[in-house]
Amino acid sequence: MKKTTVSRNELQGPVRRKSPVAGLFAAGVGALVLAGGLFGIARSDDQQLTVSHPECVFFLPKGSRNPTNNTTPDGAEQFGLSNVTEQVARLLSAAPEDTAAAAGLPSVPGGSRTGSLQSPASNTIDKYIFQAISDAGVTPAPATTDFEFIRRATLDLTGRIPTVDRINSFVGDSSSDKRSKLVDELIAKPEWLDKWVAFFADLYQNNSRNTQIPRYIQGVTAFNTYIRTSLETNKPYDQLAREMIGAQGSNSYTQGELNFIVGGVVTGGPVQDVWDQQTVNTVDTFLGISHLNCLLCHNGRGHLDALSLWGAQTSRTQAWGMASFLARTQTRNTPTAGAVNGNPYYWSLEDNVRYKTDYPLNTTTGNRPPRQPVGTQTTVAPAYIFTGEVPKPGEDQRAAFGRIMTADFQFARATVNYMWEYFFGIGLVNPSNQFDPLRLDPDNPPSGCATGAPCTLQPSNPRLLNALAQDFINSKYDLKALMRVIVNSRSYQLSSRYNGTWNPQWQNLYARKFVRRLWAEEIHDAIVQSSNVVPTYTNAAWGPVSWAMQLPEPSNTPGGTITAFLDAFLRGNRDDQPRRSDGSISQGLSLMNDSFVMTRMRSNGPATSLLVKNLSLPDAQLVDTLFMNVLSRHPSSTEMSQALANLQTNRSQEAENLLWSLFNKVDFVFNY
Amino acid sequence: MYSEDKFKKFVTKNPHPHKTFFNRPHWTRRQFFEVLGSGVTASYLATQARADESGTATQAVTTINKAKNCIFILLTGAPSHTDTFDLKVVNGVTPANFKASAINGLQWPTGLLPNLAAQLPNVAIVRSMRAWALVHSLAQTWTQIGRNPAAALGNIAPNIGSVVAIEKDSQRLPGQVFPTFLALNSPSGVGPGYFPATYAPFRINNPSGTGVPDTTNTLGQTRFDTMYSRLQQLDGTLRSSAPYGQELSDYDAFYKAAKGLTYNPTVTSAFSYLAADSMRYGGSAFGNACLIAKQTLAANQGTRFVQISFGSWDMHQDIYGQQNAKGNNLYTMGAPFDTGLAALLADLKASGQLDQTLVVVAGEFGRTVGALSAAGGRDHYVQQSILFAGAGIKGGRALGATNSDGADTTDFGWSRQRYVRPEDVEATIYSAMGIDWTTVRHDDPFGRGFEYVPFSGSDLYGPINELWT
Repeated sequence: MKKTTVSRNELQGPVRRKSPVAGLFAAGVGALVLAGGLFGIARSDDQQLTVSHPECVFFLPKGSRNPTNNTTPDGAEQFGLSNVTEQVARLLSAAPEDTAAAAGLPSVPGGSRTGSLQSPASNTIDKYIFQAISDAGVTPAPATTDFEFIRRATLDLTGRIPTVDRINSFVGDSSSDKRSKLVDELIAKPEWLDKWVAFFADLYQNNSRNTQIPRYIQGVTAFNTYIRTSLETNKPYDQLAREMIGAQGSNSYTQGELNFIVGGVVTGGPVQDVWDQQTVNTVDTFLGISHLNCLLCHNGRGHLDALSLWGAQTSRTQAWGMASFLARTQTRNTPTAGAVNGNPYYWSLEDNVRYKTDYPLNTTTGNRPPRQPVGTQTTVAPAYIFTGEVPKPGEDQRAAFGRIMTADFQFARATVNYMWEYFFGIGLVNPSNQFDPLRLDPDNPPSGCATGAPCTLQPSNPRLLNALAQDFINSKYDLKALMRVIVNSRSYQLSSRYNGTWNPQWQNLYARKFVRRLWAEEIHDAIVQSSNVVPTYTNAAWGPVSWAMQLPEPSNTPGGTITAFLDAFLRGNRDDQPRRSDGSISQGLSLMNDSFVMTRMRSNGPATSLLVKNLSLPDAQLVDTLFMNVLSRHPSSTEMSQALANLQTNRSQEAENLLWSLFNKVDFVFNY
Repeated sequence: MYSEDKFKKFVTKNPHPHKTFFNRPHWTRRQFFEVLGSGVTASYLATQARADESGTATQAVTTINKAKNCIFILLTGAPSHTDTFDLKVVNGVTPANFKASAINGLQWPTGLLPNLAAQLPNVAIVRSMRAWALVHSLAQTWTQIGRNPAAALGNIAPNIGSVVAIEKDSQRLPGQVFPTFLALNSPSGVGPGYFPATYAPFRINNPSGTGVPDTTNTLGQTRFDTMYSRLQQLDGTLRSSAPYGQELSDYDAFYKAAKGLTYNPTVTSAFSYLAADSMRYGGSAFGNACLIAKQTLAANQGTRFVQISFGSWDMHQDIYGQQNAKGNNLYTMGAPFDTGLAALLADLKASGQLDQTLVVVAGEFGRTVGALSAAGGRDHYVQQSILFAGAGIKGGRALGATNSDGADTTDFGWSRQRYVRPEDVEATIYSAMGIDWTTVRHDDPFGRGFEYVPFSGSDLYGPINELWT
């Protein structure tokens, strides 16, 4: 049996393998990392205090979190999200009631924007957001029209654009609760599952291979299935977290929840490196506190002083107490029955079999500085870093970790903040995995900090964050209920257009809705759905699927030229390349010229395709049909008159030209 | 081994100026007085101005600055160094048809790599290189970012090519339409890290010789122009007199650049090739990539860094093809590699481009030496070799030497007197291209400070200047 980690030392001679298991090396198992020399510790009187260098954290903005929301390398865009919204909104036609429309600029026939809004008093979010907007003396953006709302909510909740039939029935519905009914309907759809499996698989970094180890597609599929089943049954989120954190079992191909902890395997060092990374992943994902990663190399003082009040006063020994919850865990791999040269293999997680002691301080090599006894103390017992809480007698340590962590208010706070970040574009705490536990309580704000230390409350609206977290706890960690609260809020339903002059400084007030560049999968699926030319992708390991949101992972799927099309929209790899929302030249080329688009805009395509099916409609109806199917709205009067004029000659071609233009319009690519 | 030991001791005992990144001065006292002592020169002012502009700081080093461009060839899977660039003939093991010969004192498999044998006068081989890791994905990433992927900022670190792209962005001329960083046959290569997508590798896989994918339209140029004008028309009123917000500069810029690439004869000619040329480069995907690399650099349209990935060299079994001549072995990989790279070097030399183009060829690590494994292959190993050509380096020689079986370095061959590491290769590329490898950017998402080459501020890593002496 191959061990996951191999003790490593600088080799004096070549590695020689005796048996034909050479492929194991190719798989990254039993592999050696010889970086130890770089990570040597400077011996001192206080060994865990002084480290050789301040390199510490992974600082990975993972999942759908966008590292460029607020800053860019040239430092120019302090308010990137706000600025992108300004740019996109410029190309959105006005709504009829807007002042711009009154001034004669193009406007889109609108639908109601007022009669169906929830009362602000009934919604936690609105209570705090509109208070903050009002306190700042800012006028919020108008509410969305029905057309804007159904497109926005359908995309955000299900990753799809709405169907024309549903748009019409929604706009035509005169009942006052139609928006909340739509939200319920969307959350019950199978597409909602597809979208949120992908969202959480991003968050949990479910990939078939990361920089360190493979899960293989079987592990990815099992993990996706676990997430899907959990969402389908609306499993309380704290329960899901406990299951993943405490998972034990023999086969990651059949027991999907094992794959979360497995993802923390680090090669080329002692097993403590693995426990550390598994702890880091857990705390980052479920508590939003990535600075623990720094603390597992060195004390916070002298390193995190400018970044985190909590981090600056926390020691490496305390961080070891956190990692000690994982210290009974063996993460092991076993080749499958038909494995060739040991590949592929599945993973197991077993506690108290190979490792039965507290976290030992006995390393001198590996990916982190040495761990050496502190005085006479040679091991560190598990203790929750924020409270000192310890496992109950006889309780499995990882089960205890999950129990204590999910009972922590920060668990709810971090989770609602991830959700907020997705739906509103920027977290109440941003970046969403950089929480500073000492800067969260509005009734006890930080004071008397050292020079250069961050001494302000961290959330842009701390009372809202706490109230939303408390609601989430009261709902028994119900993700669907949380989404309902968000999407039904007037705050979420504000327009992304703003009448008057917008000040980027208002970004954290959420006084307008910020736009979101559609995910790669969403662009693909919107083109497929609107054109009604449906592909089929299949593979020995998965499929067939027609919708990109159903692909098992964003790396190297589904194969062929469509992979490059999807990659152009920066879907990430759930490892070192996060999903991002930047624009790029490749995106323009793909939308303008790629065969995926070009085969879906032709007037000689399949009889059931959007254009072929509707080509015989009268001109105005044809134009309107194309707009409604692709952009989920009617054309403005200007757009209509231009399209009608063009259709007078070469009608089929001009209809194609129009459809092509719609796929390339800014308001197709963004959720606004 | 004394100096390698010293390196380790230095890392262990005196590794850094020991200030955390946020209170580490951009200039140390020593450097400041050095600069003052030599007079406040123009270059100092320039450096300072740039530092102020972009929030970067440097140690004010002197760069080689002879390479306008760089072609970085990553041999994925890791080739056996003792069968190729550091040939060690093992009796009864090394095939006779490798035809080991000494060319100007360089042992070379003239049977396996005959065309490259003729290019050796242009090539310097560094034989004292050592990998940090023996996991493919980890070591490949390490090679492309020049740092430990598991270190701070390692997992948002940009590809070396993206650093080149952001550094050379200001040198782009009006009308240049190619992306600065081109990645050929590298679909899984490292991306731009935390940099904007502007500096991401522009990826083209298996260039077909008919231009850049998606720069022509199946309906033809006339139709494309019509469609594009219809699109402009739809948004026209809003573009000219938008009621909301500022100009769509960023998004528009990408579309304009994409339009600029479409039906552009310059693009088409640089990314197309004649069948005869392709044959000269071996007619392989690798050869075609080499050909495209040469042509795009010659076009002078803004491309400065080309990455080409070529594998797999991961030959754990049957490395000499004795069981299956057509399998993945040194002959089936060696032939396209030899033909493609040799043609590239010959063409660059003939056109004069070689003088301003640094060519770097390396795998992510080496392979086991001596006798083959039971499976007839070679497994992963830390010792490796790396090839350099162009940009004024002195070719026809090896820097450093290994022991009789190639398992370890006996002569480091450069002034630092230790193994060459991927971080040193990264510094060499930056220095060759006139980029201060000690630059620290302060624009990373967390304001932590991103060093182009890790620890270079304390001179832990640095360029292999001996290539030029």
